[in-house]
Amino acid sequence: MNYLLRRFLRALLLMIGVSTLCFLLSELAPGTYFEDLRLNPQISQQTIATLNARYGLEQPIALRYGRWLEAAARGDFGYSIAYSTPVASLLWTRAGNTLLLTITAMLLTWILAVPVGVLTGSSRRLDKITAVASSLLISIPEIVIAVALLVVAVHTRMLPVGAMQSLGSEDLSTLARVKDILLHIALPTAILVLIGLPIIAQHIRSSVVEVLEAPYIRAARGLGIGPVRILFRHVLPVAANPAISLFGFSLAALVSGSLLVEVITGWPGLGPLILEATLSRDLFVVVGGAMLSAVFMIGGNFVADLLLLVSDPRIRTGAQD
Amino acid sequence: MRRKIQTRLLIVALIGLHLAVLFAGFIAPYNPETQNRELPYAPPVRVHFNYSGKVHFRPFIYAETTGQGTLDEDFSRPYPVHWFVRGDDHQLLGLFNSNLHLFGVDAPAQMFLLGTDSFGRDELSRLLYGGQISLAAGLLAAFVTLLAGAIIGTISGYYGNWIDEALMASAELFLALPWLYFLLVVRALLPLHVSATMSFMLLIAVIAVIGWARPARLIRGVVLSARTRDYVSAARGFGASDFYLLRRHVLPQILGVLLTQAALLVPQYVAAEVTLSFFGLGVSEPTPSWGNMLSVLQQYSVLRSCSWLFAPAVALVITSVIYWLLADTIRYSLKSS
Amino acid sequence: MKPSAHFTAVVCLFGASYLPVIATAQATSSSEEVDRLEDVVGQYGGRLVVGERAEPKTLNPVTATDSVSREVIGRINADLIEINRASQQTESALAKSWTISKDGRTFVLHLRKGIRFSDGHPFDADDVLFSFAVYLDESVGSPQRDLLIIDSKPPTITKLDQYTVQFVLPRPYAAAERLFDGFAILPKHILEKPFHDGHFDQVWSLNAPPDQIVGLGPFRVKRYIPGQSLVLERNPYYWKIDHDNRRLPYLNELAFLFVGGEDSQLMRFEAGETDVISRLSAENYALLQRDASHLNLELTDLGPSLEYNFLVFNLNDLRGKKLDSIARKQAWFANLNFRRAISAAIDRDSLVRLVYSSRGQALWGNVGPGNRRWVDAAIPHPQHSLDAARQLLKSAGFSWDKAGQLQDASGAPVEFTIISSSSNAQRMKMATLVQDDLSHLGIAVHVVPLEFRAMLDRVFQSFDYDAAIMGLGGGDADPNPEMNVWLSNGSSHLWHLGETQPATDWEHEIDQLMQQQMVTLNYQKRKQLYDHVQEIIAANLPFIFLATPDVLVGAKKDVGNFHPALLDPYTLWDADQLYIRGIEKAAIR
Repeated sequence: MNYLLRRFLRALLLMIGVSTLCFLLSELAPGTYFEDLRLNPQISQQTIATLNARYGLEQPIALRYGRWLEAAARGDFGYSIAYSTPVASLLWTRAGNTLLLTITAMLLTWILAVPVGVLTGSSRRLDKITAVASSLLISIPEIVIAVALLVVAVHTRMLPVGAMQSLGSEDLSTLARVKDILLHIALPTAILVLIGLPIIAQHIRSSVVEVLEAPYIRAARGLGIGPVRILFRHVLPVAANPAISLFGFSLAALVSGSLLVEVITGWPGLGPLILEATLSRDLFVVVGGAMLSAVFMIGGNFVADLLLLVSDPRIRTGAQD
Repeated sequence: MRRKIQTRLLIVALIGLHLAVLFAGFIAPYNPETQNRELPYAPPVRVHFNYSGKVHFRPFIYAETTGQGTLDEDFSRPYPVHWFVRGDDHQLLGLFNSNLHLFGVDAPAQMFLLGTDSFGRDELSRLLYGGQISLAAGLLAAFVTLLAGAIIGTISGYYGNWIDEALMASAELFLALPWLYFLLVVRALLPLHVSATMSFMLLIAVIAVIGWARPARLIRGVVLSARTRDYVSAARGFGASDFYLLRRHVLPQILGVLLTQAALLVPQYVAAEVTLSFFGLGVSEPTPSWGNMLSVLQQYSVLRSCSWLFAPAVALVITSVIYWLLADTIRYSLKSS
Repeated sequence: MKPSAHFTAVVCLFGASYLPVIATAQATSSSEEVDRLEDVVGQYGGRLVVGERAEPKTLNPVTATDSVSREVIGRINADLIEINRASQQTESALAKSWTISKDGRTFVLHLRKGIRFSDGHPFDADDVLFSFAVYLDESVGSPQRDLLIIDSKPPTITKLDQYTVQFVLPRPYAAAERLFDGFAILPKHILEKPFHDGHFDQVWSLNAPPDQIVGLGPFRVKRYIPGQSLVLERNPYYWKIDHDNRRLPYLNELAFLFVGGEDSQLMRFEAGETDVISRLSAENYALLQRDASHLNLELTDLGPSLEYNFLVFNLNDLRGKKLDSIARKQAWFANLNFRRAISAAIDRDSLVRLVYSSRGQALWGNVGPGNRRWVDAAIPHPQHSLDAARQLLKSAGFSWDKAGQLQDASGAPVEFTIISSSSNAQRMKMATLVQDDLSHLGIAVHVVPLEFRAMLDRVFQSFDYDAAIMGLGGGDADPNPEMNVWLSNGSSHLWHLGETQPATDWEHEIDQLMQQQMVTLNYQKRKQLYDHVQEIIAANLPFIFLATPDVLVGAKKDVGNFHPALLDPYTLWDADQLYIRGIEKAAIR
């Protein structure tokens, strides 16, 4: 209970810290939302001043932060200057799209990565076969993988590129619509899996390798205990440690990790929205997005810490030995 | 035995790579900043060996090509490749001036072994010179980030309690940071023109500030479990100091994670320069770096038509693979020791 | 369970092949004063898909500022007088005719009778009065308000009768009728209440129910899917008819897909998912050209655009700001011969070749060859010459040291930074080329890419920059929209913002000439005045003009009546006339 309370307080402090930083950074960063209107010779400075005043952009940042904080406590996260709609509803729809993508990708990645990691860690032969492919995938920067797959998809026309649904899909049956979404989600998911799989597999593999060489494993083998039992009872629990942190990372990044892929493939998630909001200085959207990422990150880390406790009961965070 | 040969090969490859980059001035035939405005997007020159039956190196100059990727060779005159030629001035290792180059051809022919970019600058020269900055920045940035992450993660995992809470909370703060704003702020606070060394240091610093949190959390997790091992408790019972415990029992555990992360981060950080240049924090024109050469590939037309401009990506991948395999080998050898 | 689900599936699939609830054109009645377009023929049906860089942000014509929103808004609204983008002249729209008083101040517009909004509600002068009341309202704060304020006074708008409106301007304004293009006429019956309640800026956001978004344009909103698409359907009450007296538009639907940047748009266009693409870069155009025949595409190079790219030096008043290093450099920038030398050293031909793949024009003034009506062909075009540049520098007191580095009279080495927006690849390329050109003069130039708004902040607020490469223009061919760039107290007077008095004689002269041309109604006289302005600009080089790109567009061959133009929106300005060839033959039951 104490632990939970502590974590909750810490989470609250973190949210406040993130929001403070957001406001502070946005104040220090040059440029305001209506600045690009200055390039239009037909718009007067008076109008820009009026617009700035309407959205309170001229007020001191501390004041604006205070107002936002007070409203946020009530659940009102402000309005987007660009869309003139409440930030919460704006983020809500997009977050749903993002989660659809990232949860699918994460499930697929982990379902594939764990066996791949374990198998390549335990079998020298398998390891050699996959070594080249895996080292290549790790070495190629994310953006290159994403663009390469995109170009392939566009050329072969096998998969639709961009958006989540085809035009006019709302008139189709549910089954057809699901199929439509599956087709659209295939490309960004494939990219995310290709990016994430080798890393996780490698970490799992390297820790499996380490554990397999430990004396007690050799002893167990010497005692005649079968390889499967060794694997599941002795190797995995220990090798799981970095993997759990990584799993926590995957959870933590559910909302923020797919930004690049979403922007490149045109998936209608949070990524393009937050990116555009950042570049156009739509403050409340950016803060809202950061808050949302922070929630997921806190949640993810929390789950990871819990799992660590469960998997390795010797860890008692904060306890003395 | 096979491992030993493999390791030797890898080390040779790595040294060769770094030497090539270090001696870019000598190996590169041209100055990386010289524009040949008549020959933008020129494909790699074709090296011929056969001239009416005789076997010798003979590249030919080609006529002006301004389209994408068409190789027009002017067959009127062959230009033999010479070794150890005099050419553009350059500085070797930043120490002494020279104008000796490994190979070259007579003017007005140009030997573009990897073609040219949109300004007609020799891609091979840019690749070699660019490697200097990118490799150094990538390695240094990964080193600094991992060092910071390792120290913080170890302290956090080892001492536990409120130290752990505080450090991990600040790690989470950094992870949740809207780093795009951060980059904007950094750029705004700096003077407009930053010298080459400064911008290099800056690259590394920015990457480290944004990047330390993740490895720190990973390492903390490993240290947490390593700390509570029985042999650690036993050693402590024997009066071993914290430092000894860390060095002897905890460190080897995290080495694996560190090596894996290092091999992962280096290519990421080199590619991160693409994003940083968007904010004006990268290496600026006309100085080449693999990062700013890669940003050209964001244009679809370049992707489709100018395959030779993938050179920095290929070089990056090759370098990363070598580092990765080497890291792997080191891990194996550490285990068996 | 299974059979009925199967049945439903079949019915739905069947139904999917119909476009549900197609708004079919209403028959025209004799009392309706439609606009008949003599030369337009076409076929009903089909959907045109257009790729957009980003989502529109709002459908509110009064508050929208970004270009994507305005492009969509332009398709669902109509104006009193429109500028035909192809001819660049005004033509009647909701106002079937108008008279202008001798002194050019009074406009009497006769509205078309019997026209209805997209929800069937009739249109009359009350809607016009209401619309302009909203535009002019200070608390609403529409950016378009500034267009109507001449001499700091708004026009007086009165209703003469149910279909006649009178506009009286505070003083004569040249080409005033062009002002009306872009002022969408709003439905009073829908928007009066939010206006009086003070919530007007929240009206017609993207989430508004489509039946609330009512306008007089060729299309009306059908469906918006956040982050993905916005689909418009035919407005059954649209007031234009074609040669055969059939009501426009031909298209059943006009769909906007939010595709992303230019490269994504290109990929989707190549894949056949979008039907038109506008403002291609030269490299992408060349790429499409290779595949054009087997992809059945029609690509058009419309010639040089109306925008101009330039290098501008910071000549702002830096007193009170801690920018001493820049202030020192301003001694060089302020020297006319220095600027002329820079201009002479820049190789514009290779710039056009390398940046625009020769699909562009070099510029020596703010009005390029694309603006046939206003370009002054007599401006000198000094050719690229390093010798001339060196002479000019010598005469300005500069010299070269032993290493070839340029130094000023006090011996300080000449070096400066050029900033530009990192998201504009063409201008970044220009910066690198200029850097290379100036290195031949011994000037060390540093190129710093900056994020767009960060750059704007330096140029407009902090003045913390040496030089910048930027672009302006392209809005309209007429000189009036550009007033604020050339007037010394104008808000876009980039090189020296915030002047209360003209800082130089020639700026004073330009002020007078621009003010004069603004009230001169006769085109010939105006042209003379504006020519003079162009000559002064070319002689004094507040901007060192670089180049302008050609307008490059593409469409599928089966898009009929495709008449792209040099003015924004390049491909959709005549969306009401576009049709899909062969669609009526391939009729769906």
